Order: sequence, then C-alpha cells, then structure tokens
Amino acid sequence: MHLVVPSRGNRAARLFAGLLLLSVSVVAVAVLSLAVGARPIPIEVVWQALTQFDTANAEHHIVWDLRMPRTLVGVLVGVALGLAGAVLQGATRNPLADPSILGIHAGAALAVVLGIAFFGFTQLSGYVWLAFGGAGAAMFVVYSVASLGREGATPVKLALAGAAVTAVLYSIINAILLTSTRTLDEIRFWQVGSLAGRSIDIVLQVAPFLVVGALLAFACARLLDGLAMGDEVARALGQRIAMTRALSGLAAVVLAGGSTAAAGPIAFVGLTVPHMARAITGPSYRWILPYAMLMAPILLLGADVVGRVVSPPGGVQVGIVTALIGAPFFIALVRRRKLASL
Amino acid sequence: MFWKTAIVAALTLLPAAAQAEHWTFTDPTGQTVTLDAAPTRIIASQDAAAGLIPLGIRPVGIYADSPVAEAKALEGLDLSGIEIIGQTWSEVDIEKAAALEPELIIAEWWDRNAAWSGGQDLTAILSQLAPVTGIAASESIVGMIGDYEALAASLGADLGESKISADKAAFEAARAAFEAAVRAKPGLSALAVYAGEDALYVADPAGAAELLDLRSWGLELVSPEGVDATGNNYFETLSWENADKYPVDLILVDNRSATTMQTALAQPTWTLNPAAAAGQVTDWPAFWIRNSAAFARALETLTVAVEAADPDVAP
Repeated sequence: MHLVVPSRGNRAARLFAGLLLLSVSVVAVAVLSLAVGARPIPIEVVWQALTQFDTANAEHHIVWDLRMPRTLVGVLVGVALGLAGAVLQGATRNPLADPSILGIHAGAALAVVLGIAFFGFTQLSGYVWLAFGGAGAAMFVVYSVASLGREGATPVKLALAGAAVTAVLYSIINAILLTSTRTLDEIRFWQVGSLAGRSIDIVLQVAPFLVVGALLAFACARLLDGLAMGDEVARALGQRIAMTRALSGLAAVVLAGGSTAAAGPIAFVGLTVPHMARAITGPSYRWILPYAMLMAPILLLGADVVGRVVSPPGGVQVGIVTALIGAPFFIALVRRRKLASL
Repeated sequence: MFWKTAIVAALTLLPAAAQAEHWTFTDPTGQTVTLDAAPTRIIASQDAAAGLIPLGIRPVGIYADSPVAEAKALEGLDLSGIEIIGQTWSEVDIEKAAALEPELIIAEWWDRNAAWSGGQDLTAILSQLAPVTGIAASESIVGMIGDYEALAASLGADLGESKISADKAAFEAARAAFEAAVRAKPGLSALAVYAGEDALYVADPAGAAELLDLRSWGLELVSPEGVDATGNNYFETLSWENADKYPVDLILVDNRSATTMQTALAQPTWTLNPAAAAGQVTDWPAFWIRNSAAFARALETLTVAVEAADPDVAP
C-alpha cells in the first residue's frame, strides 16, 4: 500500500496541467473571437477562411483583415497586461500596482493628446509611437523621483511618485481637453481602450516590444520571489535590489507601453488578473507570471467578444467591459484574501 | 375725387411706412423676430455666412464648426474684417461675441435635431445677446439659396449685382453638365458615406439637401434601410464588417474633414464595396453648400467622377 502524500512534484504537476488548460482556453477564446462579429459568418466559412483562403470571398477577407488582427491584438495586449501587472505588483510589493499607478497610462495618454492637439495626428497607427514614448518618459520620471534619497526606489516611494506624476499628467491632459473639443473628440475613443479598427500593422509594430518585455519579465521571476520576502532578506540572499527593480520596471514599461500603444489604456486587467493567478498558484512568481500571462488574454478577448455581442453594430469598447467585469471580480478577491501581504 | 385718391395713397403708403420702420422675419419654427430697423450688426453661423456673404450681406462675426481654414462652407469667401468668434462646434468666445454688439444672430434650423446650428446650449447663450433666427436646413440647396436671397433682400442686399448673376449662371451650367453626365450613365448607383475608425456611416439622402438635389437631377442614390434613430438621425451605422451591405458603382465620401477619405481608404474592408474596389470614389460636399459658386464647383467635381465611372461594377 502506498501512502499518498501531497508532494512538491504533485503540486507542480497540477499547476502545469492548469497551464495547459489555460493555453487551450486562450485558443478557444481566440477562435470565438474569429467567429463572432457584426456580420454573421458560419463557423465552417471561418474555418475555410483559415485553411483555404479565397481572395474573392468577402467573408474570408473579414475574418483575415478585421477579426484576425483584432484577435491578435487582444491576445498580445492581454499577455502584456497580465505580465506587466504581475511584475509591477512584485517589484513594488504593492497589491494595487498596475500600469496606471506608475504613471504609464497617464504618460501614454498625455503623449497622444499632445500629438492630436498640436501635431495633427489623427490615425491610430500614429498613436502607437506617441503612446510608447509617453509611457517610457513617465515611468522614467516616476522612477527617478522615487530613487531620490538614501534608501533608493522603495515600494512606497514608487507608488507615491507614480500617483503624484499621474495627477500632474492628468491635470495637463484635462487642461488641453477642456480647451480643445476637437482633441477630446479624437481621444475619447482611444482613452477608453479598444481593440476595434486595429490593423495588422499595429500588431507588427508592437509585437517585438511585447516579446522582449515578456522575456525580461520571465527573467525577473526568481528575483521577484526574493523581493517578496522583503528588501532586507533579499539583500541578505545576495540580490541586488536596485538592479531587480530597474529590470522589472523596464519589463513593465515595455509591456504596458506596448499594450497601451496598441489598444489604449485598458483598466483592471493588469490589476485583477495577477491576483486571480496568485489565488491559484500561491506566492511564487515563477507560477504567477505564466498564469497571469494566459489568464489575461482570456479575460480581455472574452470581454471584447461580449462587447461585440451585446451592442451591435459598433459594439461596446473592451475597456468598458473589462472595467464592468473586473471591478466586481476585484471586490470579491479583496473580500476573500488579505491582499496587503505582498 | 380727391378723397378717393387720398385713401388709395394712404392704403398703399401705410404698410410701406410700417416696413421702413420695422424689420420682421419668421423662422421655420414659426417664431417671428421684429427689430426696429433692418439689422446691420449680424453674427452668423458658418453656414449662414456662406449663404449671405456671396449675396452682399457681411456679418460682423462668424462662428465656425472647425478651424476656419478647414471649414468647407467658408472656402473661397472673403472674410476680411469679420471677427471669428468660434472655431469648434458649439463653442463661441462669448466676450468677443458680446463686444461685437450684435443686433441679430443668424443660424440654421436643423429639424431632425430640433436645434439651431451649434446646438441648443450655444443657442441659449447667443440668444442672450440678440434674437436668433434663420432659415431651415431644408430639402434642397437650391431652395435654401432662394431662402437666403429672400433673407438677404430683406436685409438690404442688391441681388442684381453682376457677381451674383455670374455665380448663378455658373451653377446652372454645372447643373446641366451634371444632369447630362448622369443621363449618359444609366444604371449608375451611388452611396454617400462618412467613414470613422469605429464604423461606416451611410447617409440617408432624405436628410441631406444636396443629396436630394443630386437625386432630383437623376443620380440614383441608395437610401439605407436602418437609420440610427437613437444616435444621430442622419446616418445608418454599419460595422466595417458590413461595408458591402449596399454595393454601388460610386461612393461619395463626406469631405467636411480631409481625414475622412484617408480613414476610409485605410480600412481593410473598404474595398469590399465594388465602387471602392474599382476606385470609383469621390467627394460628398456634405451639408455645407450654401451658395451658387460653391455648388457649381462641387458639381464640376461630381460630374468628372460620374463621367469616369463604370456604371456596371455593382451587381
């Protein structure tokens, strides 16, 4: 008779199986995203479009030219938001950290607003680089401000600097929008966060950054586990804390900047998903990161599909749906676990 | 017999005397504005200005819906000496407006929106300075030009000016050429659209005076089936997935903003419509034509597009 003892290996196997299940779910949601839209296209035609593309067939074009880029952007942005949120929460040891708290969204939004108001940008493809530059600049300012003083960029100082910079940036944004209705008209669709109207060019523009960011994030996983035990313990274990924070900060900027560039500032995904992942995997970032990376695109693309179904023909923007789904989810998580113990 | 002559003279002179003292205009909603004399200090919406300036009535201030350089309605008009008090839809610099001491605000009545140009909020502000009146954005640009002529005449314009008759002659020639071009392309169907990043908006010709004029001159304009009554009343909103819902031979793209055509051409499903695939796309002078000269120019562009179009690209 064998005594069944829950072992470390057994737990790892279960978590690994969970990852496989999540991967299958990502594919399933992606297929759903290809199949559902304002125009009813039978699933066998969608399959035909994927396997035997016919240039003369309008429905094949819709699958490839509209739904495929939208789905790819959804997957990429989801992956990026999930990873960025998890890395930021680990690096700052702040359970409320997400791309908006470190000024990344505000920086991207200000750059896009300036581009529209003063430089005549009107097309989505132009916003990509603006958003990227703005996100990077804002994060740099936040990090520099937080690094002032003897103990360097501690979690509390990062969060405070992020909140302060965000407030400054949004006051500038609002000052511009209040005086320029034209800019407000252009920006309001972008500012909510949406996957609509994204062409394959945008996928190609941001994909390299997101791949680099993801690799950086995974390289940080072990270091984040060390940080989770507190700065002193991590230091005692021989970690270079400032280096860890800088590296994970860079990963977060590249990921969040890329996702904001592609889809606008999408709320709640980066905040909620890492907590959902943590609830399943426990505290190790070596599991939290891949879980968050796979759960976020399921939430994001799922929300986008829901948005397409509930309000044809334009659809509800994904940023609104994720906020609607994400907020109650987050409240439930907060009530279930003590989040403050990161 | 003297008393008889006197009475006749009195009867004919009395209304004339009254007219000389008062200026009266009844707007499309039935409201009547009465002023002591024909006003000379007028603030006009961009569209009203576009109707009145070519007839010799120069407002002291104009409020536009966009930066003046981009306002199609004001294209080609002499605006020297006229204060621009607004360059965004529904926004005016109220201090500038008040400093002009207007006696009258002339806008246009948009029946489907039940509002004057610039919207109700703006009207509420401007009406504190002077009464707001104007003509209706009606079912024919030709009719509206006639309405502006009547309004301009009441304001003291001399409609016999040679420039005015030259403009009218140019318009008549352009209209005849357009009619001939359409007649030469039997079966040519057309669609008027606005292209946004989020959706394709198909215009209901019944809501656009210039489209109704084009239709009355023979152009077969397709009417969309489902005009969005909850949003804006003038278009059917189509997902870009359904960009080929109305396959046609010629597409007219709203040219109020130059970026609309760029946006249309950038959409991957734009070319699902046979007209777009064949490059049979031209400008739609959407909602902004208010004078004969502008209509003549727009018709010349449309005539070229119709003449170049193959009328059999759509099934």
